[in-house]
Amino acid sequence: MSNWERLVWNQRGLLWQGLAVTIEVCAIAFAMAIVGGLLLCLVRMHVRPLRPVAIALIEFFRATPIFVQLMWVNYVWPELFGWPNTFFTAGWVALGLQSSGYLAETFRAGIEAVPRGHREAGYSVGMSPFQVYRRIVLPEMLLTVAPSIVNQFTVIVKSSTLVSVITVPDLMLQAMKLVNIWYEPIEVLTATAAIYIGFVFLVSTAGKALADYQRRRFGLNAA
Amino acid sequence: MDAIPAIRVVDLRKNFGALEVLRGVSFDVHRGSVVSMIGASGSGKSTLLRCINRLETPSAGEVFIDGEPMGGPVTANGERKERPLSDINRMRRDLGMVFQQFNLWPHMTVIGNVIEAPLRVRRMKRKAAIALAEECLARVHLSEKGTEYPARLSGGQMQRVAIARALAMQPKAMLFDEPTSSLDPELTDEVLTVMRELAADGTTMIVVTHEMAFARDASDRVLFLHNGQIEEEGPPDQVFGAPKSERCRQFLSKKLQ
Ligand SMILES: Nc1ncnc2c1ncn2[C@@H]1O[C@H](COP(=O)(O)OP(=O)(O)O)[C@@H](O)[C@H]1O
Ligand SMILES: [Mg+2]
Repeated sequence: MSNWERLVWNQRGLLWQGLAVTIEVCAIAFAMAIVGGLLLCLVRMHVRPLRPVAIALIEFFRATPIFVQLMWVNYVWPELFGWPNTFFTAGWVALGLQSSGYLAETFRAGIEAVPRGHREAGYSVGMSPFQVYRRIVLPEMLLTVAPSIVNQFTVIVKSSTLVSVITVPDLMLQAMKLVNIWYEPIEVLTATAAIYIGFVFLVSTAGKALADYQRRRFGLNAA
Repeated sequence: MDAIPAIRVVDLRKNFGALEVLRGVSFDVHRGSVVSMIGASGSGKSTLLRCINRLETPSAGEVFIDGEPMGGPVTANGERKERPLSDINRMRRDLGMVFQQFNLWPHMTVIGNVIEAPLRVRRMKRKAAIALAEECLARVHLSEKGTEYPARLSGGQMQRVAIARALAMQPKAMLFDEPTSSLDPELTDEVLTVMRELAADGTTMIVVTHEMAFARDASDRVLFLHNGQIEEEGPPDQVFGAPKSERCRQFLSKKLQ
């Protein structure tokens, strides 16, 4: 029986479980980052009185190391707000916060790239500012920033390995468990790296293909 | 001629900071008539159109659409109450605007571009909106392009879709801001043809243009704008044949040579 079979193949159930948790944490964090990023971006651009608050939050989320944020959400927030009450929640909140800071800036760049004339064409046919935003500005922005959004998801996947530190049973934690049982790290960690590479590659390829498909459908050049 | 003009512009002024772009412009556009506006680049033509449909807020003066002031009505003690945005939106849809850069929405099909405002602003039923859009596309000779996306059209086709999009709101008047200036020369005719047809159908239009032939034989009046003021105005025969202003004469001789 080879080491690969003994240490990796026979433990595949545990590794898949870990991957499932990784995917779950990342998916929730990603959803939070999109909603939070859009909110921060819109407040920053359009809600004058709250603009400094939004800028401060965006900068804070972007400038603090993800590990510090994770510790901060996991240990400080429960003291301050009585939440989050599970490690799992603390994990996706921290990941989501950081990415929402980055996505807020991505969205802003995308919104600013929508030609002013496209908005004015909306106003000139009598659309309200809200309608112009929802029907013209946001869809065009999404079209431009789709590749960056996909990229941000891969950042989340890679950062998500840190949630193992607060005992969220993700792929990384399961891998380290196996390492610590037999003290034979080579095969397990190599396999783990390969799984992360495979996952990131799959997501970014599929995401890019989808974004390009949309652009081509509209007759636009691939991004 | 109607007593109340479709568009009346009264002493319109616009500053951008210290820069005075419009310095008291007044003119009427009667129902069914075509007014061409010519003038050097930077003379304020675009700003004037944009003030008329309030994409820019005028610094002073007033624009009346069918006798109704676009700015706030004047109260008894002489103060003007600025209209709420919702009112301006309502009045704006009575003025179709066609831009130099077409400004079609790239993520919507041709039909999608045309039905957008009828659906969402006039709240028409989808079926009725599509029927209306098909009618408008027929007027610009693009019936067969409904399902295309704008990026797959030629410039001339895009501009005609933009005209159809504006027509779909059944506006009281159409404003054209250099509609052929960003087109290759061989594509300008298809757009100008559509505009001539609209004019012949009795559409009220203000056309900012560098196409002197169009201004000369498709319009009822020609305005020559210089430095934010109307320097010369009259029927095309007069403006082109015997301009009173020296500047207008110079401008035309450069354009027509
Ligand atoms: N939003 C703006 N802010 C500052 N200056 C402007 C703005 N829009 C136009 N201008 C200035 O107003 C002048 C007239 O511009 P415009 O109306 O576009 O002229 P035209 O359409 O006749 O070429 C130009 O000097 C231009 O730079
Ligand atoms: Mg102009």
